[in-house]
Amino acid sequence: MPLALVVAVLASGPALYNNLAFLTTLAIYILLAQGVNVVYGFTGYLPFGYVGFFGAGIYGSSLAITYWHVGGYAAIGLGAATSIIAGLILSPLLRLSGAYFALATLAASQALYFIVANESWTFGESGMSLPLLFSPTALYAISVVAVALTLIVILLVRDSHFGLSLRAIRSDPVSAAMAGVNVVRTRTLAWLLSAALAGVAGALWAMMTSAFYAETPFDLTISVYAIVFALFGGVRTVIGPVLGTIVLYSLYQYIGISNPQYFELIYGLLIVLLVLFLPGGLTSLVGGRGDRPAWWNWVLRRRSAHGDLTPEGRSS
Amino acid sequence: MRRVIFKTYRRLALVGALVASGLAVAALPGAASAGASGGVITVGTLYANTGSFATSSMPEYAGLQFWVKQVNAAGGMYVAPLKKKEQVKLVSFNDQSDPATATTLYNQLLTQNKVNVFVADFGSVLTAPAVTIAKDQKHLLFDITGSGTSFFSSGPNPYVVLTSLPVSAVWPKPVVGLLSSLKIKRVAILYCQNDFDQAQAAAIQGFLSKEGLKPVYFQGVPTTQSDYSTIVQAIKGTNPQAVLEFGYPNNDIAFLNQLKSTNTHFNFVLTPFPGQLPTLFQQDVGAKALDWGYTYAVPPILKINQVNIGLGLNQFLAKFAPGKESSVNFLNVAGYNAGLAIQAAFAHATSMSQLGIRAGLTAVNGKLQTLEGTFALNKAGAQVGELLPVSQMVPAGSGFAYKIVYPATPAQKAMVNATAKYPAPKA
Repeated sequence: MPLALVVAVLASGPALYNNLAFLTTLAIYILLAQGVNVVYGFTGYLPFGYVGFFGAGIYGSSLAITYWHVGGYAAIGLGAATSIIAGLILSPLLRLSGAYFALATLAASQALYFIVANESWTFGESGMSLPLLFSPTALYAISVVAVALTLIVILLVRDSHFGLSLRAIRSDPVSAAMAGVNVVRTRTLAWLLSAALAGVAGALWAMMTSAFYAETPFDLTISVYAIVFALFGGVRTVIGPVLGTIVLYSLYQYIGISNPQYFELIYGLLIVLLVLFLPGGLTSLVGGRGDRPAWWNWVLRRRSAHGDLTPEGRSS
Repeated sequence: MRRVIFKTYRRLALVGALVASGLAVAALPGAASAGASGGVITVGTLYANTGSFATSSMPEYAGLQFWVKQVNAAGGMYVAPLKKKEQVKLVSFNDQSDPATATTLYNQLLTQNKVNVFVADFGSVLTAPAVTIAKDQKHLLFDITGSGTSFFSSGPNPYVVLTSLPVSAVWPKPVVGLLSSLKIKRVAILYCQNDFDQAQAAAIQGFLSKEGLKPVYFQGVPTTQSDYSTIVQAIKGTNPQAVLEFGYPNNDIAFLNQLKSTNTHFNFVLTPFPGQLPTLFQQDVGAKALDWGYTYAVPPILKINQVNIGLGLNQFLAKFAPGKESSVNFLNVAGYNAGLAIQAAFAHATSMSQLGIRAGLTAVNGKLQTLEGTFALNKAGAQVGELLPVSQMVPAGSGFAYKIVYPATPAQKAMVNATAKYPAPKA
């Protein structure tokens, strides 16, 4: 039901606000946040260089359009395939963990950027210029469909044996292996699924932007935003990254228009406040998972002091 | 019971968050309601007050703001289809040097603010999304400095107009003329692998090959290159008569500093940006290291006062920064010049439609004389009129002066005020 609501909200987006570039970018960020959710939320691997997959998807689809003159749908498939190939090449990074893994993915994304930016066959010097394959409205519709399919996939993953295995690995890889989970294979599959989502997002972005230079697809702020949106909404849930993206990216756009001169300051302060008071993400508000918000703890302490509740928040 | 109440509180909090985000989205069109309304022509633009393009974007934006102030102080801008003057309103947003943010904000200008025309932010990277949107939404874009060849290589395009700087490949034509006049045969070319620099390097290579010459050194480096130590030694090994380094400001600065720190002397060194950003180069490289080097001459080095629209250069300097004329740079002029192009378009527009406004520029194409020179566009919208002569930086007191040594057009011959000093004297 919440998924249907999300899709309905996105589908009615143009009626509320007809800046289709914003809405399409929003859908693209939802895909990226879900990709982060798969690899970080379900397995615990934080990919700071996630933008590398996004860039691979952009260039895979763009080069296919330029050299092979493929259509838009084929370009989306080829974008995802390129990112999966990049994911396979980089899969040895999964041998690392924690900060080492995060930094290694960051370095890998920068390596990809330098390759693309300095090769003439990737148009690294002259910039990419694509024909318009879809109208903005059609591209937005395709983006909403991609989001809907992604949510279904995440839902299936979460509730499947595969999802259980991922969560077991996240909790304790050794115990998971002892219980019969093929840790390497399961983690690699999650990694490739995450790469594929970034590839689809990249292909959609390439067709939306159509003229760009290499520094844009590989901009590290894209990774940062995808991670922040996912965390703010709440990882390990299906709806969290969607909510996180809708709330934060809408605020980003709103502040950018209403207070352009204090853009970064206001947005930065807002994120600090939100993280302080909602450390478990938006989905922690509805309970059942994640950390309790600080303001809620304060309420509980107050009520506890008055004898209404125990410090744990239970009724006395 | 209390648990039920807590659950309700939590749900309310979630609903509150959703409503807040909904309000943010719903408020977006309202926040941007300053669009075209009766009696005002709205011009939309983006600027970058942070990030890698801020140092170039902000001066350009200041120039455009100055034009708006000037034109409104004069009672407004004449709009031919309305047969009256209208005030100009500038609607601007900060893209933070981020092309992805720029994409949504350019769309914001068109779909929400409904600006009459829009102006791109500095350079090709931030202009690229605007070009796509202009073509897609058939909305007239004034591109100030995004001279990327890919923007103008797909045939006739009425919706993009390059107002300052010719396309990159046209820039080096006078450099070849100068090399030829100095009888220089052994040329080393170092370029950064980006559209702007590579196009110039390829153009020079092409011009030289027509004369049966081949560069003694022809090498591309990443735009992020900052260490030129081995490159300078490699160039020295080819014993060139002239060294042409095509980079962005940071590359030019790193290259010139490398020559200075290794006390390497070449008889002829050309870099593109010392003419555009003299204060930055004096500060980061030093006047001594720039002595006898060559660069493209742009306003305010190029003093064009015979104009038929807007202010001549001297008037511009006096009014833009009274008492601080030396602080004015080319990007200030470029921003103002974009405003003049908008002014000319509306003054001769055949209707208020986008193509009608564009027709206004076609009517004055090649006839408009601004403080940047002759405003002339080709069919793709690329600037082909404001060609740049070559200048040499000649020691003067504790600093240096720019002397124009080779014209880009016959009309610029009168501007030549020195003969190139070749070979360059050793410091």
